Amino acid sequence: MHSDIETKVISGAGEWPRPTSRQQMLVWSRLGVQSFGGGTATLALIRRAVVDELHWITAEEFTTYWALVLMVPGINLLGLTVLIGKQIGGTKGVAIALFGLLFPSVTITILLTALYSKVQHSHSVVSALSGVIPATVGVGLFTSLQIAFPVLKNCTKRGAKSLTIALALLLGSAAIEAAAHWPVVAILLTSGALGAATQFAGAPKRDRQK
Amino acid sequence: MHFLVYLWLFFKASLFSTGGTGNLPSLHDDLLPRHWATNRQFAESLTIGQISPGPSGLWVISLGYLTAGVPGSLLALVAITLPPLLAIGVRRLYQRVRHHPSAEGFMQGLALSICGISAVILCILLRSNGISIKSLAISIAALSLAATKKIPIAVILAIAAIAGIITF
Repeated sequence: MHSDIETKVISGAGEWPRPTSRQQMLVWSRLGVQSFGGGTATLALIRRAVVDELHWITAEEFTTYWALVLMVPGINLLGLTVLIGKQIGGTKGVAIALFGLLFPSVTITILLTALYSKVQHSHSVVSALSGVIPATVGVGLFTSLQIAFPVLKNCTKRGAKSLTIALALLLGSAAIEAAAHWPVVAILLTSGALGAATQFAGAPKRDRQK
Repeated sequence: MHFLVYLWLFFKASLFSTGGTGNLPSLHDDLLPRHWATNRQFAESLTIGQISPGPSGLWVISLGYLTAGVPGSLLALVAITLPPLLAIGVRRLYQRVRHHPSAEGFMQGLALSICGISAVILCILLRSNGISIKSLAISIAALSLAATKKIPIAVILAIAAIAGIITF
């Protein structure tokens, strides 16, 4: 670590006076309160704040961080929050970022759920949910497709064989989930291993295909 | 209900998945047979997660509350906060393993599998809520609106709520 990291944030955007813990907390908790509408809204708000308004990190760094956290287990937005917090304030910055973002949003989520538990049998709530639940399924299907889409696109570029393997893994996982009673982790790890094995076989220097 | 087992199931689901709802298949698989959650509670908590602020991954906070009250939601919070800390280590490894073919292949196989399994589970959730022409039409309309990427998710759900009230 640089000695001057104590006072300055060094990023591709230049050197900036390091925001105080209080300033960091204010920014993250503002994001935690305002980001109604799930992940899409939260990602857009974080980006606007830390890249466009505060210049804590550059647009390029933001993109790199996002690509990286897609490979990290768990909620990608929390991984992103961890990386930005780390860059701005080190380990303490990580704690501030997570607490600032999660305290308001988790509290509101619990309150919404509690409120829902109270009113769930009222006629207007039941009728509204008869529309909202199918819509959540539709939105969820799109989010799932978005996870697979970059992979399918990548495989299409590589050729028919690669795309066939990809579709087989996607549809095979769906079929096993629908018809067999495998533990989900087993399906996931099998698919990952098959993906690794087929990529491995296709790599030019290490052709181990049997 | 054992709270340590409960915490472990939520933690495991988060650790072996990626994305806000990547933990859905694993939790569904573990909680349902134990009768610790119902399909209805899954559908409702996913909905609340889409509306409330923060990552939509906070849906598990809602699931925790519905299935085990405030302690449940706090255990869920612990379970989802720990795995993303691995981002720090992954950033360090980034330069070294980024282009290794088998690492890349593993991540891609995982992503495809998550998509396939999630699609099946979402269809099960829809079925448990009652399949009708109305519910299918709303699902497809919501998917199409989400695909434009221009309409905030909260707005799509608000439109669906109004559609639900009008057609009930």
